[in-house]
Amino acid sequence: MVLASFLFLFCIVPAITYKKEEFTEELLIKPLYAEQLYAHFQFTTKWHTDIKKDTFSHSRLFPRALGEILKEYSLLELHISLTSGLWRYEQWGYPVYDAAPGAEVWAWFQDGTESLDEKWKLLSNRLSGLFCASINFVDRSNSISPEFSFRPRGVVENVTINNSYVRYASLPRELVCTENLTPWKKLLPCDTRHGLASLLNSEYIHNTRYHSLGIHFRQTCSDSTCTIPALELQQTISLVYDYKILGTKDWSFRKLFGQGFYQKCALADRSDIFVDTISASSKYFELEQLPDEVITSFRGGYTSTFAKYTLKDNYLSLSTKKGNTEIVPLQIPPYIHANQYLIGYGQEKGGIVTKIYNNFWKHLDVILLQNIPWYVPIYLHTLKIVANGRDIQPFALRYIPGKQREKPYYLEVLLRLPPQSTTTISVDFDYIFLKWQEYPPDANHGFYIGSAIISAYLPLARNFTGLPQDGGTIRDSFNASRNGYLVQVRTESLVITLPTPDFSMPYNVICLACTVVALAFGPLHNITTRKLVLKPMKKLGLLDRLKKLLHKEKAEAKEK
Amino acid sequence: MEMLSLIFTIFFLVLAPRTQADASIPHKFANSNHTNNWAVLVDTSRFWFNYRHVANVLSIYRSVKRLGIPDSQIILMIADDMACNPRNPRPATVFNNANQHINVYGDDVEVDYRGYEVTVENFVRLLTGRLPPGTPRSKQLLSDEGSNILIYLTGHGGDGFLKFQDSEEITNQEMSDALEQMWQKQRYHEVFFIIDTCQAASMYERFYSPNILAVGSSLVGEDSLSHHVDPAIGVYIIDRYTFYALEFLESIKPNSDRTVAEFLKVCPKSVCISTVGVRTDLYKRNPEEVPITDFFGSVRPIEVIKEIIQVRLPDIPKAATENESHSTKKYVYVPPFINFSDDIKQY
Repeated sequence: MVLASFLFLFCIVPAITYKKEEFTEELLIKPLYAEQLYAHFQFTTKWHTDIKKDTFSHSRLFPRALGEILKEYSLLELHISLTSGLWRYEQWGYPVYDAAPGAEVWAWFQDGTESLDEKWKLLSNRLSGLFCASINFVDRSNSISPEFSFRPRGVVENVTINNSYVRYASLPRELVCTENLTPWKKLLPCDTRHGLASLLNSEYIHNTRYHSLGIHFRQTCSDSTCTIPALELQQTISLVYDYKILGTKDWSFRKLFGQGFYQKCALADRSDIFVDTISASSKYFELEQLPDEVITSFRGGYTSTFAKYTLKDNYLSLSTKKGNTEIVPLQIPPYIHANQYLIGYGQEKGGIVTKIYNNFWKHLDVILLQNIPWYVPIYLHTLKIVANGRDIQPFALRYIPGKQREKPYYLEVLLRLPPQSTTTISVDFDYIFLKWQEYPPDANHGFYIGSAIISAYLPLARNFTGLPQDGGTIRDSFNASRNGYLVQVRTESLVITLPTPDFSMPYNVICLACTVVALAFGPLHNITTRKLVLKPMKKLGLLDRLKKLLHKEKAEAKEK
Repeated sequence: MEMLSLIFTIFFLVLAPRTQADASIPHKFANSNHTNNWAVLVDTSRFWFNYRHVANVLSIYRSVKRLGIPDSQIILMIADDMACNPRNPRPATVFNNANQHINVYGDDVEVDYRGYEVTVENFVRLLTGRLPPGTPRSKQLLSDEGSNILIYLTGHGGDGFLKFQDSEEITNQEMSDALEQMWQKQRYHEVFFIIDTCQAASMYERFYSPNILAVGSSLVGEDSLSHHVDPAIGVYIIDRYTFYALEFLESIKPNSDRTVAEFLKVCPKSVCISTVGVRTDLYKRNPEEVPITDFFGSVRPIEVIKEIIQVRLPDIPKAATENESHSTKKYVYVPPFINFSDDIKQY
């Protein structure tokens, strides 16, 4: 009887406790016109469970360290990116995931979550411990709840969106290095020696023009009817190699990652490498290894061809040989790209300008989101929107003024950009003094203003590599024509020099004051403590003067 | 319901005795009374020209990690990022030597406090355990009365203080009081305090808590000197004391029986130029009998048991009542972009 019950439990318990989990790993390699190479790693874990019901204590592939955090803070979605370098939209097109320089975090909490600001603060603390980054500096004073820009990427029960449950913050100063990559790799189900993660060697991936780590967690559908939800975790790394840093245009795995690929991850359901061979941007290289499959993807009006390599348990290292280098691909800028810069001079007033380029032949709707720190007070009445030299009115505008040390300035502008236009959005601000203790140790380095985010829904997929909303892997993006393609262009972050006091001033003041006191004290002491007595002088007659002179001469002779 | 209480039987497999010769435990380890090891490694200097201080602290980090202290028990504080600094010609590396012998930064480093987080307040809070709610485990010193703690500090110091990021300083009295508080709260068994700064000895001269062994790279009135310049990066690459300490530590293996007394002599005046100061009056044991791995490693005698142990698993909470079958609600994707004409109430 006991034995039977044992057997029964061994059979049943796993079935109840462990929900199905799938793990795929993919690498997309795409040349970016003449000078750069884009490599994007995508690790997707899908867990067929309900975030609201599961206790997150048992999972096979899903990282428990992250799961516990998601459960504790009642999260519905979590997106983190840690980026070094700036994605050059104008030259490179669009990345799979847009990310601003530094750290960026945005999260959707579940409906009905209470004391959100407190939870957001605790969440940022926990994330800082998990990713060895200073995300703990995220709090109420630099977070906003954008109304339009950040919509849930995954599935929801309730279609009406309440933006009080979303939080967004960015830390443009954050540096990204191996210490962030190490904990990121630990979330992967396979060891870093197996699977595509074995290609992530810190010395190679940090020697790039741009590198970005990402964590994207959301709720998706478990089946086609979408009555049962599932969880999806995407871990991404985007790298942009510069041929000048590589020293050659013939790239290979050894040059990019330091080594080839030896062993596949046994836990992965699928491990694929896709190389974009024939698209507008890549016509000048040939792969030396024969692909397992050639995929032609027609998406949003544009065709691309990918060479697909499936990872097996034997050595694989891709390399290219010299193609026809005389063919230079025509560089077509994407439909929407943007810049941000500072204007003004002096230490009193300045301005922030965002310039958005619309290269499409039709008008485009865009949303501009700005999260401006509280130490940069902007003035809404100075907001000026000029498109091709003409003032235009925003479609709608959301603005919440900041409050010193408590909340940032939130500005969201909905714009309809005229066709083939350049639109300039400018707003003025004042430079202010901080309190003495609020200046960081390197105050003269400057203070950062995060990137502006320009969201647009492009009708065509030119230069677009992003994933469709209903897919979580690169394979899902092939032949995925949809109504539109969401891009969220990040601009440059800005550095301003706030009026910085001379921190040695107190010392100087003490020295100066002491000197002044010392100099003033001597004469004053003399004047006030000595008694001056007037001695009346008697006028001498001629005889007396002669007598005195003689007396003096006598005395001198005696001395001699 | 008895059926639900599940009992697993776990068999401890004992490794074949052929590995015993390599892994034999030196006799001195048996004397140690500590149960766990922690390391608090702090670099207090910001800015590129202080590259050497980051190399110092990473040298010690590398050694303690190599000798077996896990990352979860190492608190590493680095005030600036040298490895991925734009001025570093080889990103993601920090070397101890201009010949690039050892990349002390390594491929799997975890920094717990970095940048602006490295402050006197955070350091003292870490030591004394008085941290704000919500502090993640990786930023806590969860030591107890059985912990041997290695505290290593490097930066710019003076007579009686150590500067943090050029903007504040911790005094030797504050440091001593923090350690006393740790002792009173039973947060350590023994402390090995190493400091590589100018006038380093001044930092430990006011210590008054028991079981602390302190060593400083220079005496009061002396400067601590750097070792050599790397022309490729243009700055001094490491300090003398730590350079020789790392050289010594590289020769240590988890089972070697080198003693702390040998470590105290790593940098004689002929190579260090400054005089290495040592304070042993608070320390009860004779350094000549203390293995170096008592502080730099995590080696403890382990008893292998061969009996079968029965472990009772906690009851697995059953997944909430499975009423998925009759859930008719449908999940939907929200359109990723709002429709301007339909969705916006214009003001």
